[in-house]
Amino acid sequence: MPKIKLQQDKGFWRGSFDAMASPCEVLMEVPDEKLAHKILRAVSDEAWRIEKKFSRYRSGNIIFKINHANGNAIRVDDESARLIDFSIQLYQLSDGLFDITSGVLRRLWKFDGSDRLPQPSEVESILARIGWHKVIWQDHKITLQAGMEIDLGGVGKEYAVDRCVQIARNLTPLSVLINFGGDLATTGPRTGNGYWSVGRQITGHEKTIALFQLRKGAIATSGDAHRYLLKDGIRYSHVLNPKTGWPVVDAPHTVSIAAPSCIEAGMLSTLAMLQGDKADEFLKLQDVDYWLN
Amino acid sequence: MQLKKIKTQMSLAACALLQVSSPTVQAAESTWDVDTAVLLYSESDGRVTAFEPAIYAGRELEDGDRIDLRMVVDALTGASPNGAHASSQAQTFTTPSGNGSYTTAAGENPLDDTFHDTRVALGADWTQELDRLSRLTLGANFSQEYDYTSLGISASYARDFNNKNTTLTAGMGFNNDLIRPEGDIAAIFQPMRVAGSGNNREGADETKTITDFLIGVTQVIDRKTLLQMNYTFGTTDGYQNDPFKVVTVVDPVTGLPADASVSAFFNTASTNNLPYVYESRPDSRQKNSLYLKLVRHLEQDVINLSYRYYWDDWGINSHTVDFKYRYEMENSYLQPHFRYYTQTAADFHTHNLKLGSEVVAKTGQVLVDYASNDYRLAESQTITLGLKYGMPMGDNSELSMRAEVITQTITDNNVPAGEETPDLSAVVLQVNYSFVW
Repeated sequence: MPKIKLQQDKGFWRGSFDAMASPCEVLMEVPDEKLAHKILRAVSDEAWRIEKKFSRYRSGNIIFKINHANGNAIRVDDESARLIDFSIQLYQLSDGLFDITSGVLRRLWKFDGSDRLPQPSEVESILARIGWHKVIWQDHKITLQAGMEIDLGGVGKEYAVDRCVQIARNLTPLSVLINFGGDLATTGPRTGNGYWSVGRQITGHEKTIALFQLRKGAIATSGDAHRYLLKDGIRYSHVLNPKTGWPVVDAPHTVSIAAPSCIEAGMLSTLAMLQGDKADEFLKLQDVDYWLN
Repeated sequence: MQLKKIKTQMSLAACALLQVSSPTVQAAESTWDVDTAVLLYSESDGRVTAFEPAIYAGRELEDGDRIDLRMVVDALTGASPNGAHASSQAQTFTTPSGNGSYTTAAGENPLDDTFHDTRVALGADWTQELDRLSRLTLGANFSQEYDYTSLGISASYARDFNNKNTTLTAGMGFNNDLIRPEGDIAAIFQPMRVAGSGNNREGADETKTITDFLIGVTQVIDRKTLLQMNYTFGTTDGYQNDPFKVVTVVDPVTGLPADASVSAFFNTASTNNLPYVYESRPDSRQKNSLYLKLVRHLEQDVINLSYRYYWDDWGINSHTVDFKYRYEMENSYLQPHFRYYTQTAADFHTHNLKLGSEVVAKTGQVLVDYASNDYRLAESQTITLGLKYGMPMGDNSELSMRAEVITQTITDNNVPAGEETPDLSAVVLQVNYSFVW
């Protein structure tokens, strides 16, 4: 059984565990340890469930089946269908910049801070395997062309945060903060209309910490603090344009956005990154609180 | 992609994704919450001592269902007041078996020390989530001791309203008890007999049935305050006497137990009748209680305040006030506890029965319908003071210790000056260990 940890902090309980390659925290303003433990267990179970079900690094799950169907149709469950429907809406809203079939580009691009760029010909050849418009999606059945893959990693963590908020709300009327690797959301204000203070590293500078004060709703951050390539003075962010197969240049290092749900915040920040140097302009249009760096 | 406002469509898409809160959380690694406790209860003056280990285990099942199991063992030893009162003379009583006897010194409250028993109680509750807002709990319990068997079933239904801020509960319970006392059932208002001279008995066992109804409402007042109100109505039908308790028959002039000088019937030397008659209580009882509980979370601490008003058709009214304050410390907590209980006497509670007006001297016939000198039916006040200390042990377990002092004062205006009521003081010690398994 994966490990969860529960500690008492000043006026709340702090639960922690690892999921989705991130440190995960649950802060609970509940008085008794039993309830805190129950919430933490429910939240961690849900995070691990989502990770297990949708991770493209696991074999045997629904993503694995879809990606290894070799041109055959795969029937998916309701939850997977909702996530796919959601991704399609993002695909349309972003004019194709957000595309869950773009994951195969990760085979070429390793954002390890080095200067190793792939060959343009390699990129060109892999583009044939990308593009949601090539997918048949009908009646809970998805058909990918052989060689194509989908990856719900772009929405999974934010989705997990929102699901866990719903679960925590069902267990207590008191305030709970869910923080999965910097994507956070709360079930409601703390007592006395108070807020949660969450520190987060915002750039490549190890010591720069942003302090978010979250009363309600969610904050999500996209960024390349550690994930980028640097060659000839150009910093290639880890956000890839699925149409060109190349990273977006001049994108902000990090974008943090406040929104009612974590998935909204997360998708807006991802789409902002995809705008490159127009991120700020894009965000101004959205009428949300945001932080660029 | 041209720059455009997409926030609204994004919100709609997010709602569609999240609204359907369908994938039920699979309790992949369902665990038992286990509570174990050992309680030691000790009354002063060599009265009852109880040793009570208990274990409780609860587990969430799939689909929001839950099962709770419990087992309690009570080992009781000691002595209990037999109902007769202290006298300026030594008094001799016959044990419940009818074969032995014990003597109480002058001025002492008579205690029957043949009292020792072990009780085992088992219970299980199963809670089923009917839909997102309602739950049904079905329960069963069984307890067994040397001379007593109790079997019960219960059902309750709870439904949430008002964004889950209000919960209404309705429930009922039914219990069937069988008593089979040592030496059989004492015949009501018949005299205790000299040991070995044949006792007044009628049948080997008796039963009673208890039916309870409950309605309650739990209301979340604000994020830190919870209010609970319950009304319970119950009826008990059947045998409700304590088969071992007697009432002293006295000479109203001297206040001494009746003897040959005032009654031919209680001329023990010739009739073998002792001046104590077996008590008699009504065979039906209707009880009501109203219960209010307030839980308030402070910054860290928790206040727990409750009040109960109880009344029944035996004439007992009682008030209970209970206050607990959980004081959070660094990694542990302290919880002082105060409880005050006061009750009026049952209509038929009496210190003794008087020859002439209440008992016919010649025949021993009792002229009242009911009489008992059980101290539990007397007017009384009880104060409980306690302190609990709890500390977490590792991730999922807690150890706590509790100590309480209980002082009960019996008020009985018929007790003559210089004679003591069977007041009580007791100590409770409990060690509790809870963990996740």
